[in-house]
Parts: sequence; C-alpha cells; structure tokens
Amino acid sequence: MATLESLGKIFSTDILIIGGGIAGLSAAIIAKETSPDVDVLVIDKATSGWAGKANKGGGNISYVDPEDGVDEFVKYHVHNLGFFLEDQELLRAYGEESRGNLDRLESWGVHIFRHEDGSPKYIRWTEGLPWRMAVMDQDVTLNMLRYAKKQGTRFIDKVAIVDLLQDGDRVVGGIGFSVIDGTCYIIKANATILANGGQNYLLMRRWNSGRGDGIAAAYRAGAQMRNAEFGNFINWIFVDSRDVCQGAEDVLYNAKGEHITKAIRPVIEADLHSKEVVAWWKEMKAGNGPICANMAENRILNEIVPAFHSDALAVRPIATAFWGRTIGKAMAAATKPGPMQEVIPGFIGEQAPVRVDHRMATTLPGLFAIGDTSYTGSAWAGAVPMPGRMRGTGLGNAVFSGVRGGQAAVKYVSGANPAEVNTDQAEVLKESMFAPQKRRSGIQPPELVRAIQDVMSPVGNSIYMRQNRLEEALSKVLEIKAKLPELWAKDWQYLSACNEVKSMATSAEMFFRASMERKESRGWHIREDYPGMDNNWLKWIIVQNKKGEMLISTEDVPIERYPIKP
Amino acid sequence: MNTIKIDMDVCSGCKTCYDACFVNVFRWNGEDDTPIVAYPEDCVECNKCELSCPVDAIEVIPDFKGIYWPPVV
Repeated sequence: MATLESLGKIFSTDILIIGGGIAGLSAAIIAKETSPDVDVLVIDKATSGWAGKANKGGGNISYVDPEDGVDEFVKYHVHNLGFFLEDQELLRAYGEESRGNLDRLESWGVHIFRHEDGSPKYIRWTEGLPWRMAVMDQDVTLNMLRYAKKQGTRFIDKVAIVDLLQDGDRVVGGIGFSVIDGTCYIIKANATILANGGQNYLLMRRWNSGRGDGIAAAYRAGAQMRNAEFGNFINWIFVDSRDVCQGAEDVLYNAKGEHITKAIRPVIEADLHSKEVVAWWKEMKAGNGPICANMAENRILNEIVPAFHSDALAVRPIATAFWGRTIGKAMAAATKPGPMQEVIPGFIGEQAPVRVDHRMATTLPGLFAIGDTSYTGSAWAGAVPMPGRMRGTGLGNAVFSGVRGGQAAVKYVSGANPAEVNTDQAEVLKESMFAPQKRRSGIQPPELVRAIQDVMSPVGNSIYMRQNRLEEALSKVLEIKAKLPELWAKDWQYLSACNEVKSMATSAEMFFRASMERKESRGWHIREDYPGMDNNWLKWIIVQNKKGEMLISTEDVPIERYPIKP
Repeated sequence: MNTIKIDMDVCSGCKTCYDACFVNVFRWNGEDDTPIVAYPEDCVECNKCELSCPVDAIEVIPDFKGIYWPPVV
C-alpha cells in the first residue's frame, strides 16, 4: 500500500492560496495582517507576481467615492447593469469598501496616483456614472509580492494544482504537479483559497490567463456554481491582428454604409453590451457584412482611452510601454489603410461561477474562492459576465474578494481541526492527473482546445442564443468530453494543457446547460426565442456535480430582502 | 507561430523572462544560466519577456496571420 510520502512532495500549511495574481496576493497579505502567525502558502502555475491579469491590464480600479453615494451606485447598478440578479447586500458592500481598499493597496506597496490634497486621481469612463476609476501602474502585483514575502508568506512557482483533496466534504488542500519536471505536489491545508482565475478558453490572447482550472477543480469536488450562464463576455477585435478594438461598439457600420448600433447605443454606455453583438449577427445573417468600425468616429479610442493613458493623469512607464509595444505591433499588422477597419466579436468568456457567500466561502467547508474564480458566483454584479459592464472592476473585485476571503480563511483555520489527507484519495487523483502523460499516443490538447473554441465562439451559440442552437452546441461539447480520456501529453507542459482542456470542457458544458435553463433575456443574457425579461421568474441558476452528473437547479433571488425591486 | 529571438551575447542570465512568462514558454538552462525558448507555440504575444528584459536581449515577433480564430457567426 502506498504511503502519502511515496506519492509526492508533501507540504503543510494553514492557508493554501492557488494563484498568485492580485486576488491571491490580496488574500495572502490580509491573512498575515490579520494573524501574523498563520502560515500562508501561495502556489502558481506560472510565477506569482507576474501571474494573472493585473500586470497586463489597464491599471484602472473602480471605486465608489462617498461623494458619489453608495445608494446611488446600488440603484444605478441594479437598474442598468445587473437587472435584479444582484446580491444587493454584497453589491452595497462593494460600494462601501472599494474606496478604503485603495488605501489598503497603498499600504501594501502599490502606488495609487493622488492629487496634492491626497484624494485619488481618477477618471470616469463616461460622465454620470456613479463610480470612479483610480489608476495604478502595471507593477501592482510585483509590489504586492515583495510585501507578501516580507510578511513571511511562502511561494511555490511553476506548479499546477489540479484537484482538491477532501476529508468528507471539507477541502483539506490540493494535489498538482510541477510543469518543469513533473514532480507531484501534495499540499495539506486547513483552508484553501481558489484564486486562479476565470475561464477564457484560450481565446483572448496577450493578457488573459484564466483557463478555469480552479472552477473545474471546485466543480469536481462538489462545490456549487452560480450564474455560469453569464460566461460569455466579448471584446471587439480587429480581423487583421485579433487585437482588441476599444470603442468599436459605438461606431459599427455595415457594408451598405449604414450605422448599425446608433439606434441601440445613442450615447456612450458603461461598457460593451451583448446587444450590439446581436445587431452585428443580424447584419451578418442578412448578408450585410463585413462590419467595420469607423475609427475616425471612435470617441472611446480617440478621446477617452488617450485621456486615461495620459501623463497628465498619471505617469505610468510600465503600462505605457506595454500598451505601446503590444498595440504598436498589432497596428503594424493592419493590411488595410483608412478609418474603416473590419472587426468581429472576439469571444472571451470570463466565466467566473464558483458560488460564494459574503465571506467568499464556497459551499464546501474549508474552500474559499476569490477574484475571477467567483466574480459571478458571488452574484454581487448580477446579470453580467465578468468584468460586469463596470470598467475597473476586475481589479476592484479581486481586492474586495481577496480581503474578505483572506480574513474569512484566517477565522476558519483558527477553529478548524488539522487537515487530514486520505492517501487512497490522493493516489486516485494522482493517477487521473498523470494519465495523459502515461499514454504513448492519443489526442494532443490543441486539437480539443480548437474544438471547444469552435463551439463557444459563434455568436449564435453563445451570445444570441436559441434553444435548438444551445442543444446542438451542448451535444458538440459532450462529444468533446467523450474524447477527454484519449488526451495525450508528450511532456509536463502538455500535461498542464490537458488539464486546461478538461477545465474548458467543464466550463463549456455548464455554460450551455445553465443558458438553456434561463428562458428569458436579462442583462447580458439574450435569447432569440425568449426576448423578454421575466421578473416573475427571478432566479439564480445553480450547477452542481452529483456523482459525475451535472445537475441544474434554480434558487429564488431573495428580492423581498433587497431595497431595489422590479 | 510567434518567434522569440534572444541575443545570447547580450543576455545577462537574470531569469526575468522565465518568471515573466505567464504561459511558461521558457525553460532554463542551469548549466550556463540561459533561457531556452521551449514552447513558442504557446506564446500569446504579451511581450512581457521583451519589455522586462533589463538588457533588451529579447524580441517577440508575433505571427498574427498564423493565429487560429474559430468561426464567429
């Protein structure tokens, strides 16, 4: 009989944090601030501090200033963005805590740009929105890493955690492997925090790192998912370079020269919306493509984005170099001169469905989920995919949820029994994890990644949905799922890719099953066959693994408890 | 596939590129402290290796035409 020690390298800790981006680092730092004696171990598949999206993003972090008013923020959000599907208590908490979290970040070594009077420099995406965006440079996570190391948090890089270890329902750590040399890692933890991102199906390049590994691990362990149908975010992208074209949504023209979104977006809105993707799809189906963005009229790209990146607001050398270099190379790839540039909706997904309560505790004892793993699962943002039609909230939510999750994990471990890992379970999980690497031949992961992308990307499947198309898409996903046991990994890098493919298939399946259950159009979720919003059916859709079967159920939104009602 | 060019005469062996890559394109040659571009097929042209190299030894040359993009309609 195997002993635990014979299965791999064993580590023990009070709090295991999986993922070293801004959410994971926030949780690590607050945990040590709350209780310096608590042992914290952060493991990342790549490198903590460099991982995640904060060091590749826009550096804008949303907050609600007391001058804007939290009441006004909640009211605006429920009526215009989340459409009554919000957990309004948590939404209010975001509004109340986001301003203070800027001060927190600063105390952790992050530079928040401020005016001489000490107030944060900020911009609004467009005037009238009841929140602001403060600005940081892209060194945010490296500065936090430095701070966390000083506090005594331990870090292990280049290790992919694949599955969660359990004692009954309780999560007692994780099992994974080194992507460099294949060493098996077994982590015993009194509490575990998932901070390894959402699901992006490897479609959006350059800055998007989430492959849904944490979502899939939590699902397999039996954690509930919520709002999985809101996992269909897009960005408009240039056909030439596949790079993002910000602001295209307001200036889309068909081949006849007609402006196709003016009627549905008369003014600049808080962010993109699926409604203009639907307009694009209808034009394409009617034979009026290709659709071009008129760059000469693109106010967002020509006015708002430059104002945001202006040195007059904040001198940010790292972000400026990043955007200049990446966009510069993409623009150099443009083959057609002139202002009319062909664009398409580039599916990203951003599924983030791990269900958490106000403390970021999942439905499994000992397991917490923060940042992009639980953005929609926490339900504070309602009927929107991450980042919630509220620019700056990817970072804002990472810190908000990281702080709450880190504090809650400390409280949990103070009263929890020491974690006990079951050797038999670890052995089974290890065997399953390494199975693709033991084969001599089979399907290589890129083949199935493309197959999943082919199902997720078409607008008719994932944005403008209809029952027959959803059923067909699901059946394709199930065909792909049936091929997963044939995955072959030629080395450790590809073994990690095999795990990512499995995670993508899980996310895709729950997206389509949950989308079929929501027989209405609400917020970002648009059904061709159910065009109206049904406020007599105000429910969250819950997904859960029961003995290998993906079960769908619904739960009433407790709207009677909330201040804003339909 | 993207090309990642490293000028080994300039490389200082600081290992920043190895850390900076969020998709683990690099491996490390511990004998002579140099990066190995092991998985260029996984590169997503974030350019972080190029931008963070303290001695400007790296150039990422994206192959935008080679990017697979699934159907959208």
